[in-house]
Amino acid sequence: METIAKFSQKMIDCQLLDQGVAKPFKPGDRIKALPQWDKDRCIRCGVCYIYCPDGAVYRQADGFFDVDKTKCKGCGICHRECWFGVISMVLED
Amino acid sequence: MDKFSLYVPNFLPRREYFDPSKNNACPGCGIALALRHVYKAVEGMIEKAVWEKPSPNDFFGDTQGLSFLRIKRGTTDLLICFDNEAGALLQDVLIKKLPGVALAEGFTYVATACPSYPFDLYDKIKRAAETNGRSYVHILCPCPVGWRFEAEDTVKVGFKAVETNVFPLYETGDGFCNITVKTMKPKSPAVYFKAQERFSAMSDEEIAQAGAALERQYARLVEQSQPK
Repeated sequence: METIAKFSQKMIDCQLLDQGVAKPFKPGDRIKALPQWDKDRCIRCGVCYIYCPDGAVYRQADGFFDVDKTKCKGCGICHRECWFGVISMVLED
Repeated sequence: MDKFSLYVPNFLPRREYFDPSKNNACPGCGIALALRHVYKAVEGMIEKAVWEKPSPNDFFGDTQGLSFLRIKRGTTDLLICFDNEAGALLQDVLIKKLPGVALAEGFTYVATACPSYPFDLYDKIKRAAETNGRSYVHILCPCPVGWRFEAEDTVKVGFKAVETNVFPLYETGDGFCNITVKTMKPKSPAVYFKAQERFSAMSDEEIAQAGAALERQYARLVEQSQPK
């Protein structure tokens, strides 16, 4: 006798294994391109920090900027707005 | 030392009040960007902030597709409108009625802002929060999903809206009017319309008509901002 698969067993392009377990997932858990800074050319102006909609870009102790992978959604605004084109979007593994 | 010690974010509070894990905004959301800076500007009053929809019988009339954040503290009553033009018609895109309605209704401080100019936005929210009486700030938030452009172009489209005079940035109130971002040589509105796919059906004739309407609107604004 065939049984109809439950929604939770279908797993079509979907991370959820069971109902109601979306909470442990962070906004940045989807696969996306992440910004990478070329530290040789970065002038540490902070435009990427200003324009990040989710506040994912933070300043490190040495003055350079990095991204919080749990918050970044991969929109690419920092890459587009950077004055010197220092930021490149690299697809994460 | 609560401030950054580098060039650009030197004037903004360092702390982040906006938590992306507590909302489901799309990548490149203009409202998220605007809200992040609004929260920085009203730090200390965030507990008082309430998402509130004015009743349709109120002076604003039909406010479908707009979201309002109200902050009330003491004599201050700040109303912030996040406008992503969801389902808006062309005439609503070209001429925003709500700031004019708010001014006619007797608000002490009325301003328009765009998250592409974050310091302008920050200053206006700060000024509005310090005003005694009612104040209103209208924020144009580009929406990559609704307006159909790439998520990374959110800030660029905001720049285009201001540079083509589709959404002039000004602040006005009782007896004063300042254009905060002056466009000496405005670009053709076609620049703004072609950047978004929602206007892909617009003909050149319609764009020319829209440009004429925008010119009239901006001329009126410049006339108001002249010192008497």
